[in-house]
Amino acid sequence: MTDISRRNFLTAASVIPFIAALPNGVFAAEHETLKIAISAETGNLDLLQNVSTLSAYTVVFDALIHYGPGGTLEPGLATAWTVAEDGKSISFDLREGVVFSDGTPFDAAAVEWNLKRWMGVPDFSWIGVADAYESVVVDAPNKVTVKLKRPVPAALMELTIVRPVRFLSPKAVDAKGVQSAPVGTGPWIVESYDSARTVLVRNDKYWGDKPFFQKIDLVVVPDELARANGLRAGDLDVIGGDWVATLSPRRAKALQAEGIPVVAEPGTATMHLGYSPVSPMVQDLAVRKAVFLGIDRAAIAAVLFEGFAEPTADVFPAVIPSSGKRHDVPVRDVAAAKAALTEGGWTDNGGSWMKGDQTLKLDLLVSEESLPGSRRIAEIVQGMLTEVGITVTVSSVDNATIHDRRPAFKYDLAFFTTYGAPYDPHGTLGASFVKASDTGPDGKIYISDELDPLVTGALAATGADREAKIQAVYDWLWDNVAICPLVVQKRVWAHSPRLKGFTLPATDYDLPFKGISA
Amino acid sequence: MQRLLLRRLGLALLLIVAASALIFAIIAAAPGNVAALIAERAAGAGADGAMIARIEQELGLNDPLPIRYLTWLSHAAVGDYGVSLRTGKPIAEEFAARIPVTATLLGFGGVIAFLLSLAMGLAGAASNGGVVDRVLHAVALIGASTPNFFVAALLVIAFAVTLGWLPSFGASGPASWILPAVTIALFPASVLSRVVRVNLQEAMARPFATTGFAKGLTRGSVLLREALPNIAVPFLTTFGAQFTLMTIGAIVVETVFALRGVGSFFIDAIRFRDFIGMQATLLLFVVFFVTANFLVDLICLLVDPRLRRGRN
Repeated sequence: MTDISRRNFLTAASVIPFIAALPNGVFAAEHETLKIAISAETGNLDLLQNVSTLSAYTVVFDALIHYGPGGTLEPGLATAWTVAEDGKSISFDLREGVVFSDGTPFDAAAVEWNLKRWMGVPDFSWIGVADAYESVVVDAPNKVTVKLKRPVPAALMELTIVRPVRFLSPKAVDAKGVQSAPVGTGPWIVESYDSARTVLVRNDKYWGDKPFFQKIDLVVVPDELARANGLRAGDLDVIGGDWVATLSPRRAKALQAEGIPVVAEPGTATMHLGYSPVSPMVQDLAVRKAVFLGIDRAAIAAVLFEGFAEPTADVFPAVIPSSGKRHDVPVRDVAAAKAALTEGGWTDNGGSWMKGDQTLKLDLLVSEESLPGSRRIAEIVQGMLTEVGITVTVSSVDNATIHDRRPAFKYDLAFFTTYGAPYDPHGTLGASFVKASDTGPDGKIYISDELDPLVTGALAATGADREAKIQAVYDWLWDNVAICPLVVQKRVWAHSPRLKGFTLPATDYDLPFKGISA
Repeated sequence: MQRLLLRRLGLALLLIVAASALIFAIIAAAPGNVAALIAERAAGAGADGAMIARIEQELGLNDPLPIRYLTWLSHAAVGDYGVSLRTGKPIAEEFAARIPVTATLLGFGGVIAFLLSLAMGLAGAASNGGVVDRVLHAVALIGASTPNFFVAALLVIAFAVTLGWLPSFGASGPASWILPAVTIALFPASVLSRVVRVNLQEAMARPFATTGFAKGLTRGSVLLREALPNIAVPFLTTFGAQFTLMTIGAIVVETVFALRGVGSFFIDAIRFRDFIGMQATLLLFVVFFVTANFLVDLICLLVDPRLRRGRN
């Protein structure tokens, strides 16, 4: 029999608190859980409230149609769909055998119940198909038709968006019809959520390919450096994504240099320098030409975005459907910019430009909070335009102020980004280029009386006409130098070396998990 | 004693009311429209002017400022701080979930700061101009002048990334509190260690210390038995002030270590223009500061009979 001395016993006992103090995951089977950083808590995933994180919805709730690469429409909860010739009704064949994660069958009645929660409701009139809604007809247990008051050309694309169009179990609401639990048909089920994390478990009743991992741990890490360190330390598996937990180009470059896999794919949103419609300075075509030619987009992409961006001269990136014919990115030409000003009646007054008694001075509105990295870009633009002789004042303001000043057009120049997939092109065109649309704090990239009918006509166009009319909008913007596209930032993610098959989904709103294993 | 306490309590309440008025005025004067934010939350891109006007009417945002202030304060007094614009949850619920996190951080940090400062101060005084004293002086200077986000980054790189001993963030177990607690404790511990050291030096020059030496006590014994009790009041007063200041440190430390406490709620509220959340958190901070200072005063009165006699 082995004697246990008092000293040995105490030594052994002293180790116990240290073992207890070890991080929870040390002895767990790590490969069972995929740990993804999110910058803010997911919230309760109420489909009718604009509070929760968009990305978390996408793995819990399905749509009738899913947005595929390049804007292709892929079957989701509908296996097929038919748009009537007059564009005023859309019939859906529903996927059979699908159940919500609480066991409730997904059928035509569930579709009808879901659609009526937001279609025809004034709060959702910003979605064309909700605004034009007339009725929903159950044709058969697995067939539904949505009838519209007028054709909505972007209707199918609108049905791919995240909120409020995805499908909730009709049993997951309280007596007042308010969502009581996030119960969908998607590949993941919400096991728990609080302000620190949301735990998702695999939905074994999911109709599609089953994910490799048993759990996804969405961990709230608001600080970017902490996320990067978490990845380095093995406390996180995946970081990145503009709508999930932004990974800045500088940080991505640093991680890449350390051998941590970084995935960068073409972005879906364009960063623009927008012109105020009430500023006499930038309403002058010559000034817009000078600004357009005076900026070195390639340098911005290479230096400020560390190569994680592509310079562009177009409204939308090529990955956006109906994004029009492509233009060559202009090479910065200071002499041509100055010549444009001279041609426009401006005179060089020894380093600054004058027209009558007016000096060419522009106010560039920027908010680092609103658009991370924009302050540095503003300073570079300021420097580049100074070389042309244009005096640029950078007005750096907080998020609240830019939300007040931008819709009131209290600036000459301001940064904008297009909405990106799956909202474009119709989303940005309808919101940022049409005078009448009330976009609240988002403001307008460019508006004019001449442009208005072109955009509204293009958005209402159906059939073969549609592409031509959208192209006419792009042509007008190009011919009038009405836009100043800068760069398309890439979608940047970094992941643990233990992960295999890491691929990005089609939009920035989706969480990456498909095809990923460890 | 009782009258003194009542007077202190009255002053504390007055201070809270005055601070609440200031908070309300500052937040009301800040740019941005609460109704627009609520509309944006409810309808996203669909928020329009009519909806914003309707919400302004419903919330009484068109009422005169004093009326709005009194309404807000009367609700806050009974624990109704409104609904967070960012999370859509009642702020009282947010506080209930988050105060334990911040309290744990401040508790651990406070204990570390308390013990570390005493140990450093005593060791310095015992060394009295020797190598240990000078090294600890330098350490205290560095600790007091290094921002806690930098300390946090260094600790994470050393203990989480390089050595892999501790988690880099989160509250996943007892070990996960070590780095945040050390980070938040470093500044107050450095400041307090100097308070202990300097006050001990002064105490050691006083007659009771000389008497102790004359009785044959060692330097260590005089330090612990005679000098240390005599520095209780300045130490506790400074500790109270530093402990409340740790709340400000918690705003950064909670964000860096992804702890979902009141500090991170406040920083998120600022970032997302959650004016209602900002207002409520600032009021909570004020109540905490005033209460903590009141308690420190109370403790000082209890531990030092000279104060009781003097004030009476």
